[in-house]
Amino acid sequence: MSSDQDHLKETDTEARFEFKKEENSAFEAEKGLTEETVRIISEDKDEPEWMLERRLRALEQFQEMPMPTDWPGQPDLSEVEIEEIVPYIRPDIETRGGAEEWEDLPEEIQDTFDKLGIPEAEKNALSGVGAQYESEIVYQNMQERWEEKGVIFCDMDRAVQEHEEIVKEHFMTKCVPPSDNKFAALHGAIWSGGSFVYIPEDTTVNMPVQAYFRMNSEGMGQFEHTLIIAEENSEVHYIEGCSAPKYSAFNLHSGGVEVFVRENAHVQYSTVQNWSKNTYNLNTKRAICEADGTMEWVSGSMGSKATMLYPSTILKGPGATDNHITIAMAGEGQDIDTGAKVYHNAPDTKSTIESKSIAKDGGRTNYRGLVHMADGAENASTSVECDALMFDNDSTSDTMPYMEIQENKVDVAHEATVGKIGDEDVFYLQSRGLDDDDAKQMIVAGFIEPITEELPIEYAVELNRLIELEMEGSLG
Amino acid sequence: MSTQLHANLTEEQVQQISGELDEPEWLLETRLDALAALDDLDMPDVITTPGPRHWTNLVDLDYESLVDPLEFAQEKDRVEAEGADVLSWSDALAEHGDLIEEHFGSVVDPQRDFLTALSTALFSAGTVVYVPEGVAAEDVKIRTRMNSRSLFNYTLVIAEESASATILERQTTGTNIDGDQYYSGIVEVVAGENASVQYGALQNLAEDTYNFSVKRGHAGKHGSVDWIEGNIGSRLTKSSVETRLLGEGSESRIVGAFFGHEDQHFDINSRVWHEHEHTTADLVTRGVLDDEARSVYEGVQDVGRDAWDTSSYQRENTLMLSDDAEADASPKLIINNHDTEASHSATVGQVDAEELFYMTSRGVGEEHATNMLVEGFFVPVLEEVAVDELRDDLRELVAERLRE
Repeated sequence: MSSDQDHLKETDTEARFEFKKEENSAFEAEKGLTEETVRIISEDKDEPEWMLERRLRALEQFQEMPMPTDWPGQPDLSEVEIEEIVPYIRPDIETRGGAEEWEDLPEEIQDTFDKLGIPEAEKNALSGVGAQYESEIVYQNMQERWEEKGVIFCDMDRAVQEHEEIVKEHFMTKCVPPSDNKFAALHGAIWSGGSFVYIPEDTTVNMPVQAYFRMNSEGMGQFEHTLIIAEENSEVHYIEGCSAPKYSAFNLHSGGVEVFVRENAHVQYSTVQNWSKNTYNLNTKRAICEADGTMEWVSGSMGSKATMLYPSTILKGPGATDNHITIAMAGEGQDIDTGAKVYHNAPDTKSTIESKSIAKDGGRTNYRGLVHMADGAENASTSVECDALMFDNDSTSDTMPYMEIQENKVDVAHEATVGKIGDEDVFYLQSRGLDDDDAKQMIVAGFIEPITEELPIEYAVELNRLIELEMEGSLG
Repeated sequence: MSTQLHANLTEEQVQQISGELDEPEWLLETRLDALAALDDLDMPDVITTPGPRHWTNLVDLDYESLVDPLEFAQEKDRVEAEGADVLSWSDALAEHGDLIEEHFGSVVDPQRDFLTALSTALFSAGTVVYVPEGVAAEDVKIRTRMNSRSLFNYTLVIAEESASATILERQTTGTNIDGDQYYSGIVEVVAGENASVQYGALQNLAEDTYNFSVKRGHAGKHGSVDWIEGNIGSRLTKSSVETRLLGEGSESRIVGAFFGHEDQHFDINSRVWHEHEHTTADLVTRGVLDDEARSVYEGVQDVGRDAWDTSSYQRENTLMLSDDAEADASPKLIINNHDTEASHSATVGQVDAEELFYMTSRGVGEEHATNMLVEGFFVPVLEEVAVDELRDDLRELVAERLRE
């Protein structure tokens, strides 16, 4: 732990998280969203006809659906102006589908990722790197031994070409159909980039696969799609990281994540989201979990202007398990509305949801969650715990859980607490020689520790560092 | 919806009701305004989750066949307490007209939603309780037996500075009418500085009755408004029990108990708003569901920007006795002041298998053991009930239902 931290301290942290590069793109689509735009995207990617058809159908659904406005206390989305977003930007590189080697990347992109620490992550023996710069994967590296076992880890655009049948079957069909919500429909129409992960039966990928998604062009939407299929008895840990530079115009991020957890498989999906403070982060993430499978969502939401994200799991097979771990932190001008959804549709299914949120400097956090126990989900159990910490009187901390129980042989428990950062705790630490900022940082670190200890080391370090930066920025 | 109703609902009817109660002009105006507003008002909010799944369906209710504004019949017993006035509307308006004008509609917005406006326009029965400064009114009792297809009841409680009142309200059905019935009850409680009001209600209407109820109180400085909400009867109940803690150091406790069986549906809402410093709230609800009964629970603890040093607690527990029962719950926290200690918890489960095993191993038959555990489940709620009659009645109704 200490060596990791030391390493991070060597770099200029402000520069590491808040820098931007001059735009240098080969192609920029027309502003606004039309059928023509969608056709250009599809044509440019040389997609099969069925994918174009799906995009066009999704576009139709998007245009028909109203903006979500009637959820109690939901973030204000009135400034999301789809027409102003250039939906698609292709990075200026020669090779379609991304560079094979790190050295092939343009220097400025290398530079960007250096600051994000990707090579270091690789040195730490992560099993693969899929780095998204703007809308496309530009760099892929998969360790050979996984390829030999039949593990597929490639960018989503390439997967459409090279693994057409399996993508056609799973892509926005059973898990997240475009009809799910307005932004899922938008995503279905203009998705671009993202990752495809396929783990064959009886295979364990025992090192995390890592992808960094970046947004680096003004007024641009990011619509990456991630599809993970873990076959029977397989295991994988997928890590998605976001850390966007600051911009003055707003950005929209509307990603889609679909996870298929087959019998007795185990998937962990970890993400730390740090979009710039003008981004609307409206994602749809869902997993379908078969018998005895396990799905784990680990999410840190630090950035964005407004986030609406509720990773969901459908526990479809008997004995399936879901675990959610969520940290949200909202500072000035931020509205982080996040939580979890779990559908217990089979007997002996289990779920746990642990949520920690921190609101400060006028920010708002909300835990919004749904646990549904269907009739017949005998011996299902769920436990939900939400804790919130508030720094000041300008901030807001809400908790809105929903429980729907249609089966009596179940065990359902929900607990939530909200409290302020304790004056006594701060005083105690100050009397031991810490200044106010350090004391508060330490209290926050202690507050979220039950969650950071579940994270892989690289992520725990990054998360702690991000929180440190957030605290430094405003508590001086 | 509203167009359906207008078919048999007219200004003349409202004028007639108002005239029979010998009402002042301002109250007639309030009623007519509420009637006119029906066109633009929505049904009370119900929780809807993605699907969409509506936790309670109010839209399909056929109000037209249920509401007959001029046909109302009831029997009422009012047990007074020394020093306090417990009056019918016409008597109260004659004696305390100015006071009523000051407070009527100040706690429950007459146009809060469609059903509240309907109730305001059409109420013909009800009670005004007035407790003057410094008076302690113990054991006020209001028993209402409904004898018509529809009944609109309105209760206003005014407790002046340093007054206290304990009020027990019971609703039952007297002469049963064939087919569905509709009972609508509005309760407003105004508790002044240092005043305390405990309002206990036990609803045991016939099980073909649709029951809509709004109970809401304002607590002044160091005042308290406590509620007990017992629901046993009715086919469908949509009940909101709410307190605004407006004064410094004010308090509220909302205790709920329900026992649903057959196809009963209870939509129970407990809400509290902390709007001043040093306020305290405690929300406790326990419910049991048997057969195909459904419960919906929403609890809201809202802590305002100015509510420094707030303590707010909420617990909700549901026990399911049948595989066909359904329980939905949503305990919400809305916190805008960090100087707050707030928590909530909710559970849904069945009778504890170990406890049941222990009792059967001691020779208690399974059914009897289950009944004992259900009665025990209600004990933490019953203990909160200060009025002996209400506690005994609730316990008896639970026992009766278990024996069925």
